[in-house]
Amino acid sequence: MSRARTIAPWWWRVLLLAALWIGCWAPAARAHDVAGELRLHAFAKAQDGQLQVVLRVPLELLLNVDLPKRGNGYLDLARVDEALPRALRAAAKDIEFLADGRRLELGRGQARIALPSDRSFESFDQALAAVRNQRLPSSTDVYWNQGYFDAVLEYPLATASMDFAIDFHVAPGLRDRLKLDLRYITPAGDVRAFELVTGEGVVSLDPRWFQAAGTFVQSGLHHILGGADHLLFLLCLVLPFGRFGWPLVGVVSAFTVAHSITLLGAAFGWLPAAAAFPLLVEVLIAASILYMAVENLLGPRLQARWLLTVVFGLVHGFGFAFGLATELQFAGSHLVVSLLAFNVGIELGQLLVLALAWPVLAWARARLGSHERWLTVVASAFIAHEAWHWLSERFTQLARADWRELLEAFWPQGAAAALLLVAALLALAALRRQQAALPTVRTSD
Amino acid sequence: MKPSRLLFGAVVAASFAGLISWQYDAEANRQPPRFSVDANWPKPLPNNWLVGQVAGVAVDRHDRIWIVQRQSTLTADERGSDPAPGNPRRSDCCNRAPAVLVFDREGTLLKSWGGAADPDFLTTRCNPAMGCEWPTNEHGIYVDHMDYVYIAGNGGGNHQVLKFSNDGNFIYQIGKAGLTGGSNNTNGSPNGTPLLGQPADMEVDPLTNELYIADGYQNKRVLVVDAATGLYKRHWGAYGNVPDDTNPGPYDPNAPVAQQFRNPVHCVRIANDGLVYVCDRVNNRYQIFQKDGTFVREAFLERDTLGNGSMWDIDLSPDPEQTELYNADGENNKLWVFHRATDRVIDSFGRNGRSAGQFHWVHNLAVDSRGNIYTAEVDTGKRAQKFTRRNQGYSSVR
Repeated sequence: MSRARTIAPWWWRVLLLAALWIGCWAPAARAHDVAGELRLHAFAKAQDGQLQVVLRVPLELLLNVDLPKRGNGYLDLARVDEALPRALRAAAKDIEFLADGRRLELGRGQARIALPSDRSFESFDQALAAVRNQRLPSSTDVYWNQGYFDAVLEYPLATASMDFAIDFHVAPGLRDRLKLDLRYITPAGDVRAFELVTGEGVVSLDPRWFQAAGTFVQSGLHHILGGADHLLFLLCLVLPFGRFGWPLVGVVSAFTVAHSITLLGAAFGWLPAAAAFPLLVEVLIAASILYMAVENLLGPRLQARWLLTVVFGLVHGFGFAFGLATELQFAGSHLVVSLLAFNVGIELGQLLVLALAWPVLAWARARLGSHERWLTVVASAFIAHEAWHWLSERFTQLARADWRELLEAFWPQGAAAALLLVAALLALAALRRQQAALPTVRTSD
Repeated sequence: MKPSRLLFGAVVAASFAGLISWQYDAEANRQPPRFSVDANWPKPLPNNWLVGQVAGVAVDRHDRIWIVQRQSTLTADERGSDPAPGNPRRSDCCNRAPAVLVFDREGTLLKSWGGAADPDFLTTRCNPAMGCEWPTNEHGIYVDHMDYVYIAGNGGGNHQVLKFSNDGNFIYQIGKAGLTGGSNNTNGSPNGTPLLGQPADMEVDPLTNELYIADGYQNKRVLVVDAATGLYKRHWGAYGNVPDDTNPGPYDPNAPVAQQFRNPVHCVRIANDGLVYVCDRVNNRYQIFQKDGTFVREAFLERDTLGNGSMWDIDLSPDPEQTELYNADGENNKLWVFHRATDRVIDSFGRNGRSAGQFHWVHNLAVDSRGNIYTAEVDTGKRAQKFTRRNQGYSSVR
């Protein structure tokens, strides 16, 4: 994603400085500060040869537009229309829309002041009608920083069908304390919801499948490379394998298939709702690393490793899913492609790590000669040590959670799914035993 | 293990999975709501600040938690580094916090203002010349649908409700400090607003922009004024009667049910379905009215409770039906959970004590959009606590 390059106007910079000041002195924050998180709301829809954007900005953010006031701090609504165009231009400058990669020029705009209790931003049509047709009587008391600046921004379009993107960079210094809730209405009428953090760069509103795929491959790569626990688990899996061969491929594939199942399942909403579930998954991930490391130390059973890998892989898949949850808004209409791409990113990351680690391991084994097992022992001991710390830290977090809520969240779907998994594994094991018990048929000489 | 046994195990496990899914009935498994105290809420205050009695708590439409606290109730040792004029500094702890403190759900302080501990506040932002008489004993806080903040007072001569902007700029005052006119006064204040009698609590009806006042420690009525101007609209007493200020004497659980409110009329809450709940604290009951004052019904709680009574403050669960009603009971020091439609007690939690999750004079409570409950304690309680909601309970809170 490209970064915003527009230079912030002076009044946003003043706001940014104010925000930095607040950041330094937040605990002692006082009147006129931006307290906590601020949210802007917007709808965007392309129709009648233009992109229509309906925007709602908290008045707190218009600190320096200097809207006219009366009495003890109320906006002077009789004179406010003179100042609204300035606010409108400022908003359009820092919330930019792009079509086919080009920044759109603002055609027409219309603005109004709304009460904090105004509920018209429930839908695009409602918001559009309100901004166009509803004006507060000039006698209305609107406190100067308690209410909204609402605007309709209209951008003429060159062609009917265009790829839209947004660059939201209002007071970028506020980072995740300033967010834009954007609902983009596609030509098909679908509503796509985005939660954008200021200064994040250009975000495509309707990505093509390859754009979504690219974004998510990147995201998957970042996720696996940034997740030390997943990588250490992978390392533990492969450490005892002396040679590159089918058993090793089988174990890595089992991990991949298993975590893909839960990752895809979670993306489609098959996740327990309990707030403590992510904590439980984190604990189980740490436990999986510890178990693998200890098994490596005590003597790994490589033939059966794939089975455990499947179980632990399912858990790691949930872990990946938590990383994906906030990203799915950027998938557009390509949810499945994006999920697969995220998975591809993870697999690429895994392969990259293995490709780097394997030669080092092979070299170390060659140096150790008949003592090559020491490599597994020493590396697993260090990993076990780290995993133990993770486990105890994460368990402390989990212990504070409500167990009953967790159990309720798992009941009944979780319990049924777990039993089905047990059934499937038992059936698989039975099949393998059956095959192993068959007499070997020898061909005659 | 033989393959046949493994297969048998697989079939058994699969059968149980099917049985569990088939048998489960979510409705039949409804549990009472569960809460757990968040001992880390709020986070430590900056500036060596300490709060006194926390007389009110409210949650605004942004899920920010507002408390009003009484800096005047800090003892000399509690304000050791911020002593009263003429007294020497006696220790490192502590400084008085401003009266109004605003937190997010995680307990981070977002802003603060008001009262004698806020430098220059009582000289430049709220002074009698402006018509703003800050109470000597703050009591109750409310933030309305337009982010305006209301504060009441119940100290001697505190017969006023103050309205402020969100960041503490004075808007107007209802009533007049030191002046009271009984439970049927409608416009006796110099600015034309009704005279109050040590008001306790208030809430704005967002549909009509009317301010309902629980009035109070001296008057025996619910008073409704225009929230934009503070001017009188209507009022009523217990059962919707004209209020009568005759002293009914102390509460007697064996006596016939009182036909008037006893002091204090301690809370007023408006439900989504238009019902108005009023805490008749010492009579151990809440009464429910239509918005025009028509009596609907009443519910009693722990009727043998003497002293300060059991019905201190009410708030409702955030589901659209507002299925659960919560009451802070500062005499028995419990939080009671009612099923609102039936006025039946579902559960209670808490006990008298100083540990996290226990209460001493739990005075007010408020509920955020996620169903978490925030409590405020007075007397020597002097703290606010958060109780995190842990399950769905009877409501549709998730």
